[in-house]
Amino acid sequence: MSAGVITAVQAARRAARRARGRSPALYLRLALVAAWALLPALQPSYQLLDLALKVALFATLAASYDVVIGYTGIVSFGHAMFFGFGAYAVALAVGRLGAPTYGHLLLGVLAGVAVSGVVAVVIGVFSLRVKALFFAMITLAFAEFALILAVQWGALTGGEDGLSPRMPGVFAAGAAGPLGLPGRVVTYYALLTICLGLFLLMGRFVHSPLGRTLQAIRDNELRAEALGYRTFVFQLVASSFGSVVAAVLGGGYAVWVRYVNPESALGIPIMLDVLLMVIIGGIGTLEGGLVGAAVLLTARTLLPNLRGLGGSLVAGSEILQRLSERWLLYFGILFVLVVFFFPRGVLGTLREVAARRRGGAAPEA
Amino acid sequence: MRRAAPLLIGAGLLLPLAAIEPRAWLTLTVAGLAMGMLIFLVASGLTLIFGLMDVLNFAHGALFSWGAYAGFTVAVAVNARWGWAASPSVWANAGLLLLAVAGSVAAAFALGVLLERVIVRPVYGQHLFQILITLGATIVLEELIRVVWGPNDQVMPVPATFQGSWDVADVVVLRFPAIAIALGLAVYAAMQWLLTHTRVGLIVRAGVENTEMVQVMGHDIRRYFTAVFAAGSGLAGLGGLMWGMFSQAIRPSMGGEQLIFAFIVVIIGGLGSVTGSLVGALLVGLAYNYVAFLVPKAAIGVTMGIMVLVLLVRPTGLYGAGR
Repeated sequence: MSAGVITAVQAARRAARRARGRSPALYLRLALVAAWALLPALQPSYQLLDLALKVALFATLAASYDVVIGYTGIVSFGHAMFFGFGAYAVALAVGRLGAPTYGHLLLGVLAGVAVSGVVAVVIGVFSLRVKALFFAMITLAFAEFALILAVQWGALTGGEDGLSPRMPGVFAAGAAGPLGLPGRVVTYYALLTICLGLFLLMGRFVHSPLGRTLQAIRDNELRAEALGYRTFVFQLVASSFGSVVAAVLGGGYAVWVRYVNPESALGIPIMLDVLLMVIIGGIGTLEGGLVGAAVLLTARTLLPNLRGLGGSLVAGSEILQRLSERWLLYFGILFVLVVFFFPRGVLGTLREVAARRRGGAAPEA
Repeated sequence: MRRAAPLLIGAGLLLPLAAIEPRAWLTLTVAGLAMGMLIFLVASGLTLIFGLMDVLNFAHGALFSWGAYAGFTVAVAVNARWGWAASPSVWANAGLLLLAVAGSVAAAFALGVLLERVIVRPVYGQHLFQILITLGATIVLEELIRVVWGPNDQVMPVPATFQGSWDVADVVVLRFPAIAIALGLAVYAAMQWLLTHTRVGLIVRAGVENTEMVQVMGHDIRRYFTAVFAAGSGLAGLGGLMWGMFSQAIRPSMGGEQLIFAFIVVIIGGLGSVTGSLVGALLVGLAYNYVAFLVPKAAIGVTMGIMVLVLLVRPTGLYGAGR
């Protein structure tokens, strides 16, 4: 190609690069990062710091799920399983190999990544060959299998009780970090950095030529295949990438809460949470996970208080009492309503509105 | 592969004989066949709905639970009114079972119509949203069970005639599993007859092959969609009731657990094939029971193993069309 002549894609990218400095999205993102980074300086309560980091972790997890479901268009129910692999690998490496060291921690993360990568590729090879729909069923079966394995194999995983390993160095409970900072705050920054790094990595991934191809496959698999792309390989790469990111985050989660059990790291409820976060935030927006995670986790933290209130209001009737206790019911209804009326989620709908106001076409997902 | 299926089942039946003594083997085989038949009730609806409408119905498990609870309510009410469960009369026992079956099928059928009309219809052709919306429906339906009947296990009243066992030539044959096997075979025969010998079945089979062409021929395929969806739901409800009587207890999450078995079976048998889901269900039921007897902890693993093996050899499943 001669210099001076640019392709349509390059032209579009140049325009996007030029518009970047002027769009409010960049400043909003920087403000969010600053807010999360400055939070410990306000010396918040233990609960608030915990909530903030969990939102960051789950936002990144939701984004990694979005890479699979939103950008590649394949529905996986095994994402929480990969998260659990990472969490268990870290907990096992730190807790079962003698006195905890940073080396063990690194080993745990690497092991979690390796296991997740291998399992994701194996599942993908089996199920993506025929129909992406198979993937949903097979990942669900595998996730259930992993859950049963974690519960049954008590000698290794601690069964239902799970593992509560002692973390090395500054990550340990009550440890003091450098510069007089508490260990908890150092852990917070370390994990926040990892989340941010993964977010940038995923942003790069979905906006790379590879990511464009994935979106093409999602929108029209037949056409992408006709254009000469081996859709199977691309889908395999995307689902494995998302799974590996989830494994790293699982390791981070284990370091933060210092406790891993089947229900909190592997189970179907976690999977539903992540799915809900993506749907609320907006499928195919990457950053939507942040909205979803913030809404869901904040609601989860506040709900017990509301539930007590609801229980006292309708103390008379048993069925009304039960109705007030089943918060998952309302999540389910909310989920169906969001899928029906805001299929693009909060962020997707906002972007649509913004694009319409600018008079342009609908934004690309 | 189609011709190899009976061989496969035969080998699956006889191989464990090497490790298990014959009498235990026979008991396990009956239990395995019964379990297979009950899974078949769930999987056949799932596979037909998928074959005809291209819808992967995650709410199928919730309909299973609803069928069980509706049948349970009918059985408890009938038992409280006339005491038919404990009565020594076979007719009273059979009457209770029939009423419970009618209740569970009716409830699941009605829910199926509702689900298809309200929730599934707007999202035909969009796989992602189908999965999401039926998943949402599952959560809501399962939670509604917890609201109406409470979150704890309930004990299912089982008619006296169908409890215990018959001694056939010194072999213990549990009664309820035997009835479940007979019921499963009857349902399979009825489905085959309906699909291959009636006009409705012809149109449904044609719809599985090519939906648009059926529409071009002047048939309102949407009506068939509703009918098949509701019939599949009714079968799931029936499966739920029978499973509840089989295990003598019901709980809200039972449907979700069965759904995973049904998915495995549908994948093994091939999406869209009723015979395939029967073969797959029997394979899974038998293998599960044999392995649960020999190595209890590996039971769920062996069904996964079969699935992976089948996918390796034939990615579209044993009886799946090559698409």
